Amino acid sequence: MSLLRSPAGRAGRRSGDRGHTPPARRDPPAPLPATARTGPVGWAHDLLLGMRFAAGGGREGWIRTALTAVGVALGVAVLLLGTSVPTLMDSWHGREKARENLGQLHPPAPADDTILYASTNTVFHGEQIRGRLIRPDGAHPPVPPGIDRLPGPGRMMVSPALKELLDAPGSALLRARLDYEVAGVIRAEGLRGPAELTYYAGSATLNSPRAYRIDHFGKEYEPRPMQAPTVLLVVMTCVALLMPVMVFLGTSVRYGNERRERRLAALRLVGADVPTTRRIASGEALFGSLLGLAGGAGLFLGGRQFASVVTLWDVNVFPADIAPSPLAAALIAVLVPAVSVVVTLFAQRGITVEPLGVVRHRPPVRRRLWWRVLLPLVGALLLVPMSAEQAWTDTPLNTLRLTAGSVLLLFGVTALLPWLVDAVVGRLRGGPVPWQLATRRLQLNSGSATRAVSGITVALAGAIAIQMLLTGMKTGYADAYAQSARERPDAGIMGSVDSWQQAERALTALRATPGVTDVRGTVDASFGELGHARPDDRFGSLAIGSCAELRKLAALPSCRDGDVFRTGFDAKGKNFTPGMAIDLNPQFMADLPASPRPWKIPPDIPTARLLSPGFGPGNHSYDLLATPSAIDLARFDHPFMDLEVNYDHADPDTVERIRNSAARVDPTMYEHSEVDNPHDAQISGVRDGLFFGSVVVLLLIGAGLVISTVEQLHERRRLLSALDAIGTRRATLGWSVLWQTAIPVALGLGLALGCGLALGSLLLAMIDSAVMVDWAVVVGMTGVGGVVILFVTALSLPPLWRMMRPEGLRTE
Amino acid sequence: MTPPGSLLEARTLHKSYGPTPALDGADFTIHPGEVVAVMGPSGSGKSTLLHCLAGIIRPDSGTVRYGEHNLTTMNDARRSALRRSDFGFVFQFGQLVPELTCVENVALPLRLAGAKRAAAEARSLEWMERLEVAEIGAKRPGEVSGGQGQRIAVARALAGAPRVIFADEPTGALDSLNGERVMALLTEAARDTNAAVVLVTHEARVAAYSDREIVVRDGVAREMAGTV
Repeated sequence: MSLLRSPAGRAGRRSGDRGHTPPARRDPPAPLPATARTGPVGWAHDLLLGMRFAAGGGREGWIRTALTAVGVALGVAVLLLGTSVPTLMDSWHGREKARENLGQLHPPAPADDTILYASTNTVFHGEQIRGRLIRPDGAHPPVPPGIDRLPGPGRMMVSPALKELLDAPGSALLRARLDYEVAGVIRAEGLRGPAELTYYAGSATLNSPRAYRIDHFGKEYEPRPMQAPTVLLVVMTCVALLMPVMVFLGTSVRYGNERRERRLAALRLVGADVPTTRRIASGEALFGSLLGLAGGAGLFLGGRQFASVVTLWDVNVFPADIAPSPLAAALIAVLVPAVSVVVTLFAQRGITVEPLGVVRHRPPVRRRLWWRVLLPLVGALLLVPMSAEQAWTDTPLNTLRLTAGSVLLLFGVTALLPWLVDAVVGRLRGGPVPWQLATRRLQLNSGSATRAVSGITVALAGAIAIQMLLTGMKTGYADAYAQSARERPDAGIMGSVDSWQQAERALTALRATPGVTDVRGTVDASFGELGHARPDDRFGSLAIGSCAELRKLAALPSCRDGDVFRTGFDAKGKNFTPGMAIDLNPQFMADLPASPRPWKIPPDIPTARLLSPGFGPGNHSYDLLATPSAIDLARFDHPFMDLEVNYDHADPDTVERIRNSAARVDPTMYEHSEVDNPHDAQISGVRDGLFFGSVVVLLLIGAGLVISTVEQLHERRRLLSALDAIGTRRATLGWSVLWQTAIPVALGLGLALGCGLALGSLLLAMIDSAVMVDWAVVVGMTGVGGVVILFVTALSLPPLWRMMRPEGLRTE
Repeated sequence: MTPPGSLLEARTLHKSYGPTPALDGADFTIHPGEVVAVMGPSGSGKSTLLHCLAGIIRPDSGTVRYGEHNLTTMNDARRSALRRSDFGFVFQFGQLVPELTCVENVALPLRLAGAKRAAAEARSLEWMERLEVAEIGAKRPGEVSGGQGQRIAVARALAGAPRVIFADEPTGALDSLNGERVMALLTEAARDTNAAVVLVTHEARVAAYSDREIVVRDGVAREMAGTV
């Protein structure tokens, strides 16, 4: 029975005899009563003892604890951030829902508590600005969250970010566009995020066709589902960031294992049994992980303060939004320390700490390939069919398949690496002495090196795959924009209209804008076949414009004001023939009653062939063309002007001036073609962030490698001194350290490249993009791997030189 | 230059570790083919003397001459080169590289001196045969007994055809039978190659294999009465 578990009986006997001891003789002190601790109490005692050892481990012990804590802290911070995403999105969407109501299905009648409300969204230098124009019908209008009362006509309430932008020196054109007096600032509850650019402006002239009448703010709506590439990117980013963190978490709690085992041998010598020593070892790891847990919480709380400056996929939130659910936080708080204990116990399954040292009773096992291949194989089997499908669709099952497939593929890399290192180094023979020392060392025990490197491998593989996906997305967007630029006008502007004269005024204003080279515009409206209660697909479209404007759309035989033309465009099987009665106010939805406004297509109208018939950008699908006098615009339900503007791109402010001209005509007009490609900067930002994250992970893993290398050197202090004594050059051992790091890292990099390229290709196939490799990123990542090797070697050399001193030979 | 006939000579060596003197004016001389036992109690400075003689450490003062070389003025690289080419070492615990096989361990000094692998290992096997450990050449040090390991260490010390072998408590970790066997093989091989052996020990039975005994006490080396 060990001293730590000595029976209480002997102590009791001794204390009972104490009264009979002769006073002249000094008895040895009676042993302290000891009670065998079992169960949870025993566990707690041993873990606490281990924690005390870790805390009292001196400078080196603290360095190891600190590194474990840093690794765990990083993991915890990422986990907390990951589990905050649902809360974050709920808060974000919640504020959006609470403040919005762009139209009610059954608009209320004008009343004391109703308002006219219109969107005046605009863009300034690529920044989206949300604008709302408000005109109260009475004295008690609804007020959106974030402001106490509605701004009066000519005044506006602005978000802090917009106020800052308006006050900036380069914002003169924006100030001209939003020509309202700033009456106040919108509070946080009325904003989606701190960086949001938004305003509410008061109007005295806003009228019905341009605005919705509402009696409350807050609208039930489902947020738009993300686009497939974005979902892929989000899922992959989570997987690629969390996987190395998990691997690192597992690795970091094993730092200092060998030193710890030696210390535990001393405990065995004084009577601790094997399970006790294992629990004490777990207690040491637990100490580091608890510190890491606290550090991670601090890192998370500190890091989220920077949330306001980060905008990803248009999502920008307040620091307070980034909060994990209490259940998730509790799970992290419990599971992370538990993982550290389990991992440490697991790491010790093959060794026994004996009183005179550590016995590794498991002979070097031959690593089996079959189950290691099985993991990435199953992952690939899940992903390949998805990449072969026509187009990736965002369904829960697909997301699950994608996540599971990616995790298995990446985890498979970590499982394959030890086998690969064993298989490769096992075949290495000969070579110079440093090479031989390194390869032999790896042949003997490659476990600790591959454990650390597997973190690098999984981080790199994930990063390469994501970088490929981003490159594909970026190229796809760039191609789409290039295509769009070829086919579309430079800018398209739409807006409600009451009369053709109003459209003409807009055309004139745009043509007068400096830098504009060409403007085309018509008033467009829809009509249906008369007599159909629910016309479904039987809508027609009509363009109203001057002969000059209509000639830009179609080849007109001749044209005078009052003429109507049929185009003969019949792509949907519609057959609006001359003389046919049509409805200018068709019923678009079953529960939206509309009173018919019949109009007869004049008989004997000529046919005008559309110049670009068809659907999509740059094409037109009008059924009828009409000159302004031919039809009364007021008879249509929602006629709108469709203006297309081409301009000289040399001056970046031209587009801003065009927007100003449009806003002066009617602030509710909006662009329907995107001039700026926001994806470029967004994707570049994500790529830069990802690259930075990968570098940080790699350097952190590099720090772990340094620790394990220095520990290994420390263990071999006497041998190193002996090697120095027999004349071994420092360079020889320095090179052996470099090779010892370089071989597993190089193999890990190779595996990461293979897996990353394969996963990236599958992901690109899922978004129907051509497989393209961003070699700059691959070279950059490989370069970082090389830097890690040099970093580890360079930091290992000073201790190596120190341990080669002859003091190591002294036995006394 | 060493005195005529002597191979390695030290004069008035002083070496302190912090405030503690390890050598306090120690003298030492050894001739080719001679086996000199350096004896003394623990902490007397025997190992420090051996390290100074081998050029592993530099004394604070005094000189160590080996042939034409003054080890006390040579830089670290040249002393390392000399240790590779002219000296051999046997340590108490063998200090074999655990990941190399026994034959690779024996070949290590030769390879460090620039020999090709095959030639170095062939030469090593010859020594291993002579020391009766050829059959364990492919094993790693962790897989052989203490006595075998120490014989591998002796083979490593001899493989480079050194002119001086420094043996620091070479039998300290062995039982008496294995210790005797190692000592017999070491001294016999040294005599055959005319190599001098500086043998640090505190065991009289080990010192008995020497031609001459020197006692180090309080950092001063004295010739034992009655030895040659």
